[in-house]
Amino acid sequence: MDQKKAGSRITIFFCQRIDVDQDVNRRPLEKELGPRIRFFPVPCSGRIEPLHLLRALEAGADKVYVVTCPEGACRYREGNIRAKKRLAYAQGLIEEIGLAKGRLELIRVPAGTQTTIVELARKLLAQEAIVGPMPPDEPGQQKQRRQI
Amino acid sequence: MRGESRLKKVLQQGSFAVTAECGPPKGAEPEAIRKKGKILKGFVDSVNVTDNQTGVVRLSSLAACMLLLQDGLDPILQMTTRDRNRIALQSDILGASALGIRNILGLSGDHQSFGNQPQAKGVFDIDSMQLIQVVRQMRDAGVILGGEQLTEPPDLFIGAVENPFADPLSYRVLRLEKKVVAGAEFIQTQSIYNLARFREWMGQVVDRGIHERVHILGGITPLKSARMAEYMRDRVAGMDIPDEIITRMKSVPGAKQREHGMAIAVEAMQALKEIKGVYGVHIMAIEWEEAVPQLVEEAGLSPRPDV
Amino acid sequence: MITAERKPLAEIKELIAPYRKVLVVGCGSCVAECAAGGEKEVGLLASALRMDARRAGRDLEIKELTLDRQCVYEFIDQLTEFIDQYEAVLSLGCGAGVQAVAEVFPKAIVLPALNTTFVGETKEAGLWIERCRGCGDCKLGFFAAVCPITNCAKGLFNGPCGGSQEGRCEVDPDTPCAWQLIITRLEESGRLDCLEKIYPPADWSRQQGRGPRRIIREDQKL
Repeated sequence: MDQKKAGSRITIFFCQRIDVDQDVNRRPLEKELGPRIRFFPVPCSGRIEPLHLLRALEAGADKVYVVTCPEGACRYREGNIRAKKRLAYAQGLIEEIGLAKGRLELIRVPAGTQTTIVELARKLLAQEAIVGPMPPDEPGQQKQRRQI
Repeated sequence: MRGESRLKKVLQQGSFAVTAECGPPKGAEPEAIRKKGKILKGFVDSVNVTDNQTGVVRLSSLAACMLLLQDGLDPILQMTTRDRNRIALQSDILGASALGIRNILGLSGDHQSFGNQPQAKGVFDIDSMQLIQVVRQMRDAGVILGGEQLTEPPDLFIGAVENPFADPLSYRVLRLEKKVVAGAEFIQTQSIYNLARFREWMGQVVDRGIHERVHILGGITPLKSARMAEYMRDRVAGMDIPDEIITRMKSVPGAKQREHGMAIAVEAMQALKEIKGVYGVHIMAIEWEEAVPQLVEEAGLSPRPDV
Repeated sequence: MITAERKPLAEIKELIAPYRKVLVVGCGSCVAECAAGGEKEVGLLASALRMDARRAGRDLEIKELTLDRQCVYEFIDQLTEFIDQYEAVLSLGCGAGVQAVAEVFPKAIVLPALNTTFVGETKEAGLWIERCRGCGDCKLGFFAAVCPITNCAKGLFNGPCGGSQEGRCEVDPDTPCAWQLIITRLEESGRLDCLEKIYPPADWSRQQGRGPRRIIREDQKL
């Protein structure tokens, strides 16, 4: 099996309120990067569960970001607090199977900033090279497939 | 006190050992135990003192052992895991050694529901296997559970029990071996009436070489009556009393049954002397300690050897 | 599930004796499963208590209600509407349910109608057997899925004891010897060598706790 290039794939879960035009803004980047990037807009980062993060890793992401609104600015009050705790829980879980907790990262958009999801994504892409690719599966092994 | 275990010395010099059991009274009087000790002295190498046997409150084994020690006997402290947690057990192990008691027998003990305190909480913090391991570690490595160092290790000859007649039969030899691995140095078995079966068990024990790693003492309980024999067969778990023994007991009139029971016991003791891997006999004459001297003499085991 | 049994009626009557208006609250979860405290049992008990009061010439007004779960505040809140109208609450919840109700309504008098017993399985209709002691350190993987603490009367980890006879426990002939079962299962699956190692003493601090044990999950907090 080929070694993946350093930092190939990232997944970004983000609160839609960060960029009201995200639906339009992210398309060109998606086209440019193809499978290297996956965006998951959600109505509030509090909707994100540890399960989503694990599945993102399982599906091939080397790094998963959860982008939330600034502290105190969650429209639903505690959504971004829940997101932080759930991410921490998921980190604990992946550490138990030997993955670096840095593969899951919470990004809090600083208060008072205006940014598009694309600008943010490009910044993150530039940083994520530090994490490196996920450890490869054992060669010759049938890939474990999640049964639905 | 720096005495030594007589039982250990007898076994180590290759003599056939004799131990007997002694039940403490249901009261605070020291004389009861002393009296039993006097009967047994000189006829046995060491004396077991039971630990609240059957869950019935009796004068403690530790105290009774001390009384026997003072009278010049070599007591074996029986310690069950039913009534005490690991803190108390380890503490009593140190205490026993400090008092000069040199033998200990670790066992699980009868369930509290059998006794006169059925509402008591059965502790069972650790089991008999773990207890044997703990004593061994305390003695040989000088540490308690958890690894903390003792200022002085206890000096105790370590024993355990095994029942060749309990189920699952196929597992009993393996369990015996496990007790040896845990640290047992001598074993006292449940009462033997079915010699054929016991010989078979010992055959397996010898095949595995266990007899070279532990001293097995065969258990003997003289029957007082045919009724007692039937009771034990029907009501005591883990007892194998062959029909032929029952028949023999019944074939004699009531007044003669004690004598006959003694004769059967003597036969068994003599048979044990000939079985490979058996290093002694453990006589459990419950509330009939007076029978022990006669049994020992008739079995040709008196006088006891010098050590 | 958690199993429980209804206390003898004499005991329940004594508990509610000072009260004329009683709220009888059941639970639709564990105690309903073991036919002790569900909706049917609430109805049965209420009916019996009312008839008994009538025959004794005593006033007794009972409101019957069954919550989905009596140990979860969201359900207990349903009592807020009318709990003040009653002098006492007779709870058919398990011990956790009774206490949870009392915590939500600290001024209320909350009384237990059940004796909570054990964590067990429904072996067959009408038969519940204890299987778990909540030791907090599950060892079932080492004992062929037979809990030695729960199923062995002496809780041996290196059993059996000398009283095992024909697969029965010496303490209770109706009880199978747990160690016979463990050994049989291991033998049949070729794993008897698992028993060669001496199983070490348990960490009872995980069962005993320092007061009531707790589980905290930050990721579950609102």
